[in-house]
Amino acid sequence: MGKGTKENTYDAIVIGSGISGGWAAKELCEHGVKTLVLERGRDVKHLIDYPTMAKDPWDLPHRNDLTVKQQEENPVVSKCYAFREDAMHFFVKDKEHPYIQEKPFDWIRGYQVGGKSLTWGRCTQRWSNFEFTGPQRFGYGWDWPIRYEDVAPWYSHVEKFIGVCGSKDGLEAMPDGEFLPPFELNVVEKHLKESILKNYGNRYFVHARWAHLTQPNQIHLDQGRGRCHARNLCQRGCPFGGYFSSNSSTLPWAAKTGNLTIRPYSVVHSIIYDEQKQKATGVRVIDTNTKEATEFFAKVIFVNGSTLNSNLILLNSTSNRFPNGLGNDSGILGKYICHHNYRGSLGGEMEGFTDSYYDGRNPTDAIIANYRNLHKIDTNFVGGYTTYAGARRYRSDGSTNPEQMGADFKESMTELGPWTVYSYVQAETIPKERNHVRLSTDKKDEWGIPQLITSVEYDDNDEKLLKDFFEQTEEMFTRAGVKNIHYKDSKQAPGLDIHEMGGCRMGNDPKTSMLDKWNALHHCKNVFVTDGACMASTGNQSPSILYMTLTARACNHVVDEMKKGNL
Amino acid sequence: MKRRRFLSSVAILVPAALVSTEVLLPSCNQGVEDNSFSQENINLLDEIGETIIPATATSPGAKAAHIGEFMKVYVTDCYTAQQQVVFWEGINKVKKLSNEKFGKEFLKLSVSQKQEILRSLENESKDSKAANGNSGTQQFYPMIKGLVAFGFFSSKPGATKALRYEQTPDRYVADVPYKKGDKAWATT
Repeated sequence: MGKGTKENTYDAIVIGSGISGGWAAKELCEHGVKTLVLERGRDVKHLIDYPTMAKDPWDLPHRNDLTVKQQEENPVVSKCYAFREDAMHFFVKDKEHPYIQEKPFDWIRGYQVGGKSLTWGRCTQRWSNFEFTGPQRFGYGWDWPIRYEDVAPWYSHVEKFIGVCGSKDGLEAMPDGEFLPPFELNVVEKHLKESILKNYGNRYFVHARWAHLTQPNQIHLDQGRGRCHARNLCQRGCPFGGYFSSNSSTLPWAAKTGNLTIRPYSVVHSIIYDEQKQKATGVRVIDTNTKEATEFFAKVIFVNGSTLNSNLILLNSTSNRFPNGLGNDSGILGKYICHHNYRGSLGGEMEGFTDSYYDGRNPTDAIIANYRNLHKIDTNFVGGYTTYAGARRYRSDGSTNPEQMGADFKESMTELGPWTVYSYVQAETIPKERNHVRLSTDKKDEWGIPQLITSVEYDDNDEKLLKDFFEQTEEMFTRAGVKNIHYKDSKQAPGLDIHEMGGCRMGNDPKTSMLDKWNALHHCKNVFVTDGACMASTGNQSPSILYMTLTARACNHVVDEMKKGNL
Repeated sequence: MKRRRFLSSVAILVPAALVSTEVLLPSCNQGVEDNSFSQENINLLDEIGETIIPATATSPGAKAAHIGEFMKVYVTDCYTAQQQVVFWEGINKVKKLSNEKFGKEFLKLSVSQKQEILRSLENESKDSKAANGNSGTQQFYPMIKGLVAFGFFSSKPGATKALRYEQTPDRYVADVPYKKGDKAWATT
C-alpha cells in the first residue's frame, strides 16, 4: 500500500457518489467540512455526459432494443428493464465486475459519478411507523432504533431540496410530505380510485410521490434545474434536471461550496483502522486505471457504496481488532440481506372511456398504498406490499382488422386500442440470517479485492404474499370493471428489484446490529453507513428517499459532534 | 421504481426479436439463394414492407421509412440465428412464389399480386397454427408483419406522419378528447 501524505487528508471521506453519497457530500460541504468523494467509476457531468438525452426513436440504430450479442454478453444486466440501447452506458456490464452467485442473484450496478441515481425509479414515498415497528411488533425481525418521528423532519429537508410531486392524502400507511403538484390521474385512474374506495373503504388508489419538478421552487432553480417536461425518458439523464439525481443536484451543489473533491476511478479496497486511536483513520484506494494504491485520511468516513459493495468494503476492512470485518464483533455483517419482491404484475383492459386520451407522457405511476398487516396481522403472511398501478392507452396492433396488410390495416394501427390497466407489486421480504453475502476466499477481482458471493433467496412468506397480491388486485380490478385480466409471476431472482438492502443493519443492541441510531458503527464510531446496507427491514416503500433522509440526519449529527470536538 | 415494460408491451406489437422460436419452418428452397442484405434484397424488403404498410393519402409508407435498411441492421444484430433462418426462408419463398404464380419477380408485380403472394404466406402460417396449435412457433408472415410495423412506427415518417410524436411535450394533460380516427402518440 502506498503511503498517503498531508494533501491526502480531508475532514471527511464519502465512499460512493450515488443517491446517498451525493447527499453526504452536500450536507457535509454545506457545513464547511472538507469532503473527498470517492467514486469507483468514471465521471458523469450533468448534461455533458448524457449522450442519448436528445435522441428520437429513429436515432437509435436498434430502436432501443438490445442486440443478440449484448444479451449474450450480459445475461444478468440485460434482464434489467432499463438496460436498453438508450441507457446501457449507465450500467455495469457483466464482465466488468464479476461476483459469485451461490444462489441466483441479479446484481444490477451503476459505476459512475451519480451511480444509480441517474437511472433510478424516482418513487419517493415516506415510510410510516407501521414499517418501522412491524418486524418487532409481529416478531419477524429486529427493532429499528428509530421511529418515524425521528426521520420526519429530515424527510421534509430532503423533499424540499430534491423536489417531490404528489398529493396530500392523509394516509396513515403513507405519510404526507412536502409536495409539488402531482401528475393528474387520467379518467380510468380516477375511476379505479373511486371504485376501490367505494368497494373497500380503506384501500387508497392515489398519486404516488415522485422526485419530479412539476413546479420548481427557487431552491430548485438555484440548483440549475427546471420543470419536468413530461418526456418520460428519465433514464437517459434529463436535459432540464427535471428529476433528481446526484449529478443534477447534490454534487454540483456541494461543489459550489468549494469544499468538495470528487475522485473518479477510485475503488475502495478497505477502511484503515488505527488500533491505538480505536477509530478509522482513512481508506485504501486502488486507481482502477493504473491499479496503483493510495491512502486517504479523514476524521469521519461515510460508506455509501451501494448496499452490497458497502458490505464488501466493510468485510474486507480487517485488522487485529476486527478480524471479521470492521465493527463486526456481532458476526452479523453481510447477513440478513433482504430486498423487495417485484415478481408480480397484473393487468387487463377497461371497457369504455374511449372518448378520452392524454397529452404528454406521464413519467409516474399511481399507487395503492399498503393495506395489509398494518395494525394487526390480517393475512397468512407477514409484511406488507405497495401496489403500483395505472392506466394507459396504446396504439392498436391492428390484429382485429380483417386485412393484415394494406391501407386499412395501416390505418387501424394508427388508432388507439382500448384502455389498459396495469399493476405491479413492491413487497416486503423478511430479513433472514441465511440470506447473506460473504467474501470469496480464493477469487479476486482485477483490483485485487475479493469477489463477493451472494446467497439470497425467497421464502414461503414471499410466495403467500405474492398470491395475495394477485388475488386482491384481480378482485379490485374486476370489481372496477377490468376485463381480460392477465397476470405474471416473473420468477425473477432477487436483485433484479434493485432494492437490495441490509447486511449492516441499524439497531440499539450492538450484539444484534452493526449501526447505532445515527448510522455509526457501534464499535467504530467515526464510520457511518447510510446507504441500503443500514436497513434493518425492507418495509414496502421505495427506499432511496429513506437513504437520503438517514444520510442528511447522520451528517448533521456528525457536524454537531465535530463542533463539540467529539469526532 | 417504474417498470411498465412487461405490461406496456402487451398491447403493442412486440418486436420480433422478443418472440421465441421453438420450431423452424422446413426448408423449401432450392438452388443458389442470396441470403444477404444486398441492394437487390433491400429493394425487395422495401416492396414487401410497402405492401404491408403502403403510402396513403395521409402518410408515407414503409418504403419511405427505409424499412429494408432498418431490417438490415435489426435482423442482423437483434435476430437469433434461428430467427434469421425463418426470415430468409420466408424471403426466398416470396421470390419463388412470385416466379411460380406470375412468372415475374416480386418487384414487378401489381399491388394485388404482391398482396396475393404475402396472403398465401399469411394463410400458410394460419394453417400451421391451426393444425399444430403452436402459437409460440414463429412463422414468417407474423414475423415480417411485426418487423415492418415496429420499424415503420419507430421511424421518423411513421412516428411523425402516421402517428403523433413530440420528443419534449412540456405538458401533461390527463384528460383530452379523443374520437375514432385520431392518431395515437408514437411513444408512451
